[in-house]
Amino acid sequence: MRRLLLVLATDVRRHLKSPAAILVFMAIPMVMTALIGIIFAPRTEGKELPPIPLVLVDRDKGLASKLLLGSFDVDRMKKMFQVTVADEAEGRRRMKKGKASAMLVVPERFTLDLLEARTTALTVVKNPAEQFLPDVVEEFVSTLAVMLSGAVQAFAEEARGIRAMIDRPIESFPWDKLGPELGRAQKKMAAAEKVLNPLLLGLKEEETRAAGAKAQVTRTDIFSMMLPGMAVMFLLFIVQTLMRDIVSERQDGKLRRMMTTPLRPLELVGARLAGGWVMGVAVLLVMVAVGTLLFRARWGTFGYFLALAAAASFWTAAFFGLFHALVRNRNQAGAFAAPIILAFSLFGGSMMNPEAMPKAFLAVGLATPNRWFIDGAALVRDGKFPALSLLVLAGSGLVLTALAVPALRRRTSV
Amino acid sequence: MLEIKNLTKSYGDVLALDRFSLDLKKGEVLGLLGPNGAGKTTLISILSGTLGDFTGTASFLGRDLFADRSLKNRLGVVPQDMAFYDELSAMDNLLFWGGLYDVPRAELKKRAAELLELVELSARAREPVKNFSGGMKRRLNTAIGLLHRPDLLLLDEPTVGIDVQAKVSILDIIRSVGAAGTAVVFTTHQLAEVETTCSRIAIMDRGRVLAQGTLEELVRIVGERDVVEIAGEFAAAAFSEAVRDLAGARVELLSAADGLASLAVADTAEVPRIMDRLFRRQLAVTDMKIKTPNLETVFLKLTGRSLRD
Repeated sequence: MRRLLLVLATDVRRHLKSPAAILVFMAIPMVMTALIGIIFAPRTEGKELPPIPLVLVDRDKGLASKLLLGSFDVDRMKKMFQVTVADEAEGRRRMKKGKASAMLVVPERFTLDLLEARTTALTVVKNPAEQFLPDVVEEFVSTLAVMLSGAVQAFAEEARGIRAMIDRPIESFPWDKLGPELGRAQKKMAAAEKVLNPLLLGLKEEETRAAGAKAQVTRTDIFSMMLPGMAVMFLLFIVQTLMRDIVSERQDGKLRRMMTTPLRPLELVGARLAGGWVMGVAVLLVMVAVGTLLFRARWGTFGYFLALAAAASFWTAAFFGLFHALVRNRNQAGAFAAPIILAFSLFGGSMMNPEAMPKAFLAVGLATPNRWFIDGAALVRDGKFPALSLLVLAGSGLVLTALAVPALRRRTSV
Repeated sequence: MLEIKNLTKSYGDVLALDRFSLDLKKGEVLGLLGPNGAGKTTLISILSGTLGDFTGTASFLGRDLFADRSLKNRLGVVPQDMAFYDELSAMDNLLFWGGLYDVPRAELKKRAAELLELVELSARAREPVKNFSGGMKRRLNTAIGLLHRPDLLLLDEPTVGIDVQAKVSILDIIRSVGAAGTAVVFTTHQLAEVETTCSRIAIMDRGRVLAQGTLEELVRIVGERDVVEIAGEFAAAAFSEAVRDLAGARVELLSAADGLASLAVADTAEVPRIMDRLFRRQLAVTDMKIKTPNLETVFLKLTGRSLRD
């Protein structure tokens, strides 16, 4: 046992001293996850529309049109509209060039018509080349018209008084009466404000979806779903690389030298399998940490995930122990390992969402560690215990170990 | 200390060891000299327990070397391969390989430091071995075999592929290990190495020991005669035919190959007679050397071929 632990500890130290291969294999899934996540995940930011370019044609040039133009200058409106004041010809030219979504025309005598409570109309000319933004302008203007109509009716008496004063020559303007008129209007505004502020009725946004439809996934969700698949694929690559020592040490004479010492073949086999297992768990935990830090990926209950990582690493170490007992040399190991891992990953769901895979793929996938790890990780993410995945990975891992140990012992006895 | 009897090993139809027998005493340094394919590495592999499927026995310290696993703690092996971890330092390698034997950790550390001093690697003890030169790696390879103070040290061509300085250093280590009481078997095909290092020499060819003894004892096999080495443009058969009736007590044909032949002569006065005979037979001679008897002439006489063949 002492020698087994010595070989195991030395193996771990060796791999940590020259970690280039491990680091590359750990970086690849992170980069792939980042790229796929960035390309395919829905954007959570930038939901707001860009400001709608709007041309305002002021034929009135009166108080009401100035107030209307001023209303577009407040912050909230600035976010919605980018207003340019121009004549009608310039407005049409801008729409033709795609620089304006709509043109709002304020008619002549607009101020006077409002003050005299006469019917008037604001005209919205929509850019025919655009579909959505001109409709927003139209809706907004129609709402504005309703509000203006209400305001005109509420302040009709004050408006008539002011209108009468406007008609007089400037030198005979009754400045003394303007104050009381404005005072009445102010009192009405104050009364209205008591009623309107705070608003009793608010507006709450709520996302609705059809029954059975799925919630929209965020980018974090995409990363959380992808990382386990990527992690198990590169776990296979990393453990395979580490366990290739079994054949390379046979080729370069280290195995022969070990067998001249009191080290028993079974101790060496145990150390190699345990080394693959320990390194596999460590690698998965590092990937979890990096995935959490970089992508804010969710993994679920840590204890459950640790158990799943241990079972998957155990399976992987046993499988590659058996694999390296069967191949003849390092080149053969390299040639066969990559296609096997890629096939596991393809059928097991590391490369595509299992729900999008053909049924035949799904059936084959059941024979891969990727599938069981990914399924287990999904359960753990939802807070559930991955009992079936653990059972399959640990059970089949035990069978593989039972096959690997005698095969490796045969390969070890030189 | 070590008694090998009738070791026989075949690779298919090829007989690698043919009833090989040998005795070795404590502190004795035995050089196994033989050309490629003589069976040297096969012998070392069997003794170190890394090769099976053979017949014969080996008794080490009075116990069966092939049955008693505890004897592995008394046996040191320096393989021909540089068998250690390049990514680890020299010290870490010594601690790992030494740790596989039953040596207490504290003692192992002390011993590793001693050996690094012995092989002149103390200054670079903490450096990864991958930065070492070939000679430094060979010295480390040798040191690993000495960590547990073995009673028997087996070295398989420990000086292959290194410079003269490193070679001298390793041969010094082998001599000092022998002087300290460890029995040593080392294989080589370098005559000079065994002449300067070994207390006993065994000449092997085709899986058998042809002769063994001290250098002086082996030289006596050839006798006190000088050896005449003749090079030229002649066929082996023509040369043999030309000197056939000269052969006798004073002249002996040791070897004849196309273009190169060797004869042992009781007196250098025989040389003109030999040359005259060759000229008469119109055999073109381009070079002629007279050598006093040494290990090479012994090897030539015993195997009929040079070590370089």
